[in-house]
Amino acid sequence: MGQTSRHGRGRFAVALCALACALTLLAPTAAFGLTTNKATARPNEDGGSSVIGGLPTRLTWEGTVDEGEEVSSVTLVLPEGSSFDGTTTKVTVLEGLSRAQLEGEVKPATQSLVVVFSKPATAGLLLRLEVEGVLFPSEGGDVVVRGTYVNQNGEQDLAESKPIATIANTPLQALLASLDANPVVEAWNSSPFLGMFFKPQLLVTAFATLIPGWLLCLLIVCIAYPFAIILGLIFALMKISRNRLIRAIAIIYVNVLRGTPLFLQIYIMFFGLPMMNINIDNNVLGVIVIAINASAYLAEIFRAGIESIPPGQYEAASSLGMGHMMTMVNIILPQTIRRVIPTVTSDFITSYKDTSLLSSVGVMELMMFAKNLTSVSGNMTPYVAAAIFYLIVTLPLIKGVTIIEKRMARSERGGGPRPKVKAKTAEGVTGDPAEKGAEPSLVEALSAPFRPATTDIAGMGGVADVQ
Amino acid sequence: MSQISRRQFLQGGTLFAGTLALTACGGGASEDTSAQGADETVADQSATTDGAAGYTTVEAGKLTCISNLFFPPFESMNEQTGDPEGFDIDVSKSLAEHMGLEVNWLPSQDFDTLVPTIKNGGKADVAIAGMTITDKRKEEVDMSDPYVDSNQSIVIKSGTDETAETLDDAEKVIAVQSGTTGQEWAQENLPQATIKPLSTVIEAMSGVQTGLYNAVVCDLPVSKYQIKTSYTDLEVIEEIPTGEQYGIAVSKDNPGLLEAINSALAAMESDGSMAAIEAEWFGSAL
Repeated sequence: MGQTSRHGRGRFAVALCALACALTLLAPTAAFGLTTNKATARPNEDGGSSVIGGLPTRLTWEGTVDEGEEVSSVTLVLPEGSSFDGTTTKVTVLEGLSRAQLEGEVKPATQSLVVVFSKPATAGLLLRLEVEGVLFPSEGGDVVVRGTYVNQNGEQDLAESKPIATIANTPLQALLASLDANPVVEAWNSSPFLGMFFKPQLLVTAFATLIPGWLLCLLIVCIAYPFAIILGLIFALMKISRNRLIRAIAIIYVNVLRGTPLFLQIYIMFFGLPMMNINIDNNVLGVIVIAINASAYLAEIFRAGIESIPPGQYEAASSLGMGHMMTMVNIILPQTIRRVIPTVTSDFITSYKDTSLLSSVGVMELMMFAKNLTSVSGNMTPYVAAAIFYLIVTLPLIKGVTIIEKRMARSERGGGPRPKVKAKTAEGVTGDPAEKGAEPSLVEALSAPFRPATTDIAGMGGVADVQ
Repeated sequence: MSQISRRQFLQGGTLFAGTLALTACGGGASEDTSAQGADETVADQSATTDGAAGYTTVEAGKLTCISNLFFPPFESMNEQTGDPEGFDIDVSKSLAEHMGLEVNWLPSQDFDTLVPTIKNGGKADVAIAGMTITDKRKEEVDMSDPYVDSNQSIVIKSGTDETAETLDDAEKVIAVQSGTTGQEWAQENLPQATIKPLSTVIEAMSGVQTGLYNAVVCDLPVSKYQIKTSYTDLEVIEEIPTGEQYGIAVSKDNPGLLEAINSALAAMESDGSMAAIEAEWFGSAL
């Protein structure tokens, strides 16, 4: 422990010396008894990383007292248009890594801030000022912190800090400011529930900042899914293969992937592969994990779909002289695809939602952005905004599935594209008269292929009709 | 057919709206009751223990604490039993003892949810989580007097040859724990780098170990402890003196509790129990 700290302090000292030398070279006329280490500002863009002018931020200034100096006060000066009005300052004086017993009295004026220390700061002490609520010029640009300090010989100039890059106020920020000022919004936010989950300012920010994450989610799942379908189909065919070994491989693949949480699979892939020196881009790896995971579920869906095709279809095909392969490609698979579309769509929805798990390993997707925004705002609204982004995609898909299922159920019962008169007769045969006009039940529709052959005849007829 | 489905849809809609309204009321109500009580427990307790002490606790006679339990040596879960342990846990025990309460630790939750949880009240009394006292947090909750000093650090994998300067690069990925002062420091001082906020320091360090991230910025005591105990192939390349201090977060609705905690902290300082806990977890040097 001691070694590390000595090491670190050594480096730090070297860096300081270098910095001091550099500064001396830059401004040879001024000798600095108080070295400016840095001046930085906390990003104040909601959900972003920029420092915006005209909005409160926190300025952190650090300086080290040089050899043979005693600093009794420090004055920071900001450029025209900035303001220290209404700021609160935390003065921390450090000796190495521990806090020194030194207080500072802070007097903010509009453009300058004076800190007077309770006793002069001696050589080697690090003076750290954190000024909360500083306003930089609203037009943006580079902000350089200047100033003066008082040592035993009187007032001296401070070295200029490295410029802090700030940007001008954006339209989004202006909109947020107007929301902040709105009394209705204030009343809305004063309700703990509404303010915590539906804060208008944060909804606006979140909608603007979550878009890249949302697009990445869509991109990941849209690239992953075609691969998942191909993989799923391969494993489905392997699973119904007559070869015991091929079947075993498929069963292991499907069961292991379906039997372990996706979260775990993500961890294994993201932390495991780099350990084996396999370095794949995070987003690509995300696509791979989602594709592999979805393929296992799709394999089961396809297998069930294939097995739901009544044996009569195989018999009919073979009676026409078709081989196994030909039967599969021309007769069975087309019917299977039609049957599994709703289930596959549901699985797509699941996969789309599952991309959220990738946030835990640093893929910058929707949840990650929402989490980020929540962590800086301490408010749940970004999660609600993320939920809306998920729903934008999933609700139309869910609706689509419902429509397809209804149509399918109707055609399975012998309805569908038949003339109306015939459809009524078909309903009369299969359904209870009391049920006439009611929506076909989903359970009935999905279980149709599994019911005994006697009731299935009508369903088969329907399928054949559509073909 | 379509008419019926529309009616069904409307019924469904009404039901949904009703549920929403109920949830809304529930949310509002639980807020108000955090101080007084629709809950029997809350009602009980205000009548008994806490009436005299001038504060209320979520559960009568208990100091209910929350934290992110993946922050050793301040808080972690015991490998065998899964019970919370660490510096902050011992502080909470001593604190409760001084206040005449029993200590009750809730399961771990993400660090960035601690302040909102305490602010909303009703679930826990205090968050003891190696949490630095900042003005921003003080806007949301009350913070107790400081009980430990801390600093920041940059941790890299040994032999990767990174420095604070090389890390400030668009190619570099810095892992931080979401909502921490380490995250703030990284965003402010490494503006070019990509900052990845994760839910625990452990995840961040594992990621650096496997090369997923280039560095971690986190509290120095934690990085030192972790490097000494588990992540021996990582190293601290920069100790950043920030002089930050940890405090205990208490709801603003519970000023009595804050006062009691502050006086208990002062008592722990003067009777040596704080020094004993420090000695146990950090050796004599802190």
